[in-house]
Amino acid sequence: MAEYLLVRPVRLSLETVAVRSGLHPELVRRFAALSLLECTTDADGRLWFTPSTVAILARIQRLRSGLSLNYAAIGLVLDLLDRIDVLEAQVRSQRRWT
Amino acid sequence: MATDFYDALGVARTASADEIQRAYRKLAREYHPDVNADPGAEERFKEISEAYQVLSDPDQRKKYDRFGADFRRVPDDFDERAHVGGGGRVRYAQGGQGFGGGFEGIDIEDLLGGFFRGRGGSVPGADQQAELELTVEDAYRGGRRHLTLAGAAERGYDVTVPPGVLDGQRIRLAGQGGTGSGNAAPGDLYLVVRVKPHPRYRLSGRDIHVDLPVSPWEAVLGATVPVTTPGGEVKVRVTPGSSTGRRLRLRGEGMPNPKGKPGDLYAEVRVMVPKKPGKRERELFEELAAVSDFDPRSS
Repeated sequence: MAEYLLVRPVRLSLETVAVRSGLHPELVRRFAALSLLECTTDADGRLWFTPSTVAILARIQRLRSGLSLNYAAIGLVLDLLDRIDVLEAQVRSQRRWT
Repeated sequence: MATDFYDALGVARTASADEIQRAYRKLAREYHPDVNADPGAEERFKEISEAYQVLSDPDQRKKYDRFGADFRRVPDDFDERAHVGGGGRVRYAQGGQGFGGGFEGIDIEDLLGGFFRGRGGSVPGADQQAELELTVEDAYRGGRRHLTLAGAAERGYDVTVPPGVLDGQRIRLAGQGGTGSGNAAPGDLYLVVRVKPHPRYRLSGRDIHVDLPVSPWEAVLGATVPVTTPGGEVKVRVTPGSSTGRRLRLRGEGMPNPKGKPGDLYAEVRVMVPKKPGKRERELFEELAAVSDFDPRSS
């Protein structure tokens, strides 16, 4: 008989994200509403986040305090930084000749 | 951290508040740890922020202009005290060792803590990225490498490079990135491998290309010649009738692969001729020229 491992879904609740990032759950909810964080909503209306959310929250706080950006601008900066990451990874993989 | 605040922002001592703000904004955008993954950027960013915090406040700026790096030790009522009996001056003279005497007793993190603290939580550090330059041989063999990252606080790491690492691959040093505020976790340091160009080896993915110089008679008659590869010397059999450009594949002699098949080594035949043939050599070539009906341009 085959055995199956019990796999937990890799997603974090709003409360877990709040605890791990040290922020108020309402602020996390607000970030989600501003579309700074990606989340899914289940049938009960609860928000679920990916594990990388904690790192993104840290980045949001650093950008806000370090460059005094407002949240709309932070959304743009996050998108641009992500795009730069993708492009840099492409450049790295295309540089095949030494 | 005893840099002059005006130097940190790159402005003159006579700079207006607008100029200071302009310089600060520009540098902050450049060195913010989320925008600039260089390991030295975070330190520089803190320096810029501290300088701006002081120079953007007219009172603090005035004090800094007057007392230099020790301005924070000067009590607020210095002028009154100096006027009354000079008591304040004595205290100041004891404490400071002149300009640039350091910040003992003042914790920079304390000053900047408020900057990163946000809403009562602590913020994890940003990830950093540095380059690790390797020769083709180093990348082939792997092994331990010592790496020093420059900065005010020089950091040294002993890194284990896996054999067969390729240009552009990243090695992650967990927890060695930017410092977090409060008791939050630091970020990670990523080392991006740069394989230096090599005079003989060219890399294409895991395949290594190398030129194989042979004499005309070796090319015609075939021969077994030694080739130096990153893994050591190997013997290659040149099949008779090999012209320049023929590639001989040595299966599995390319870059090792930790997760599967290693690359191949391609030795490309290059027919070389003597620049100044001897008398006898010349005669033989002349004879060959007379006898042979081979025309390389006919096909």
